[in-house]
Amino acid sequence: MGQLNFDAFQVIADASRREILHMLSKESLTINTIAANFDISRPAISKHIKILENSGFLTIEDRGRERYCLLSQDGFRQLRDWLDYYDHFWKQKLSALETLMNKNINGASTT
Amino acid sequence: MENQITHTWFFNHAPETVWDYLTKSELIAEWLMPNDFKLEIGHHFVFGAKPIRRFSFDGRIYCQVLDFKPQQMLRYSWRGGQGDKVSLDSIVTWTLKEEKGGTELTLLHTGFKGLKNYLPYLIMGKGWLKIAKRMLNKMELADGTVEF
Repeated sequence: MGQLNFDAFQVIADASRREILHMLSKESLTINTIAANFDISRPAISKHIKILENSGFLTIEDRGRERYCLLSQDGFRQLRDWLDYYDHFWKQKLSALETLMNKNINGASTT
Repeated sequence: MENQITHTWFFNHAPETVWDYLTKSELIAEWLMPNDFKLEIGHHFVFGAKPIRRFSFDGRIYCQVLDFKPQQMLRYSWRGGQGDKVSLDSIVTWTLKEEKGGTELTLLHTGFKGLKNYLPYLIMGKGWLKIAKRMLNKMELADGTVEF
């Protein structure tokens, strides 16, 4: 199953998977309904759905005999976490750089 | 939430000094991370950071010097992930400007691949799905493509 575990950025790098998410943002759909909207094979769609499920972008719910896909927030949160992480990272590093330069270049041409 | 990160910082030091801290390996290591940087377009180098498991990030950042103008601008690619699997493919650009006896340094971190069309989802809170739907509808009106 290793190959089906992608991180958030890899997940949304694929156009079919983006399209599936787009469809699910309007309503919950069965796997069959989703597959009917694509030209690619049913197994290929199932694999995309599995990837989306594993990475937290959707959940699958059994309703009677049908399996419904629902959009889930976790995958999107991971994308945001990355940006937040780097935002904070650079702020910290720039502050460290300032401290370091002030220490190393003591009194040199400061205003 | 933007598809890029930018920070501007003022230093009480001349651009030549700030430039040294951006381009000399041993100085970079003191404030950023251990590295094998060389100021040479095309040079590949690696930053060593702490691994972050929840991001599938093994702690190594693979970079390549893309462009520079001495004491004005430095740009390198910034790729991270797990082993050969690159999950973060982005670009870091530093711009230096002489200002009031010091230097204004701007950091621009861009090109988070694949993120562009997903910003609506990144708006969090309880009504996130409603908001995402509304924004997706707008995106569709704009022919399905929205540039950020």
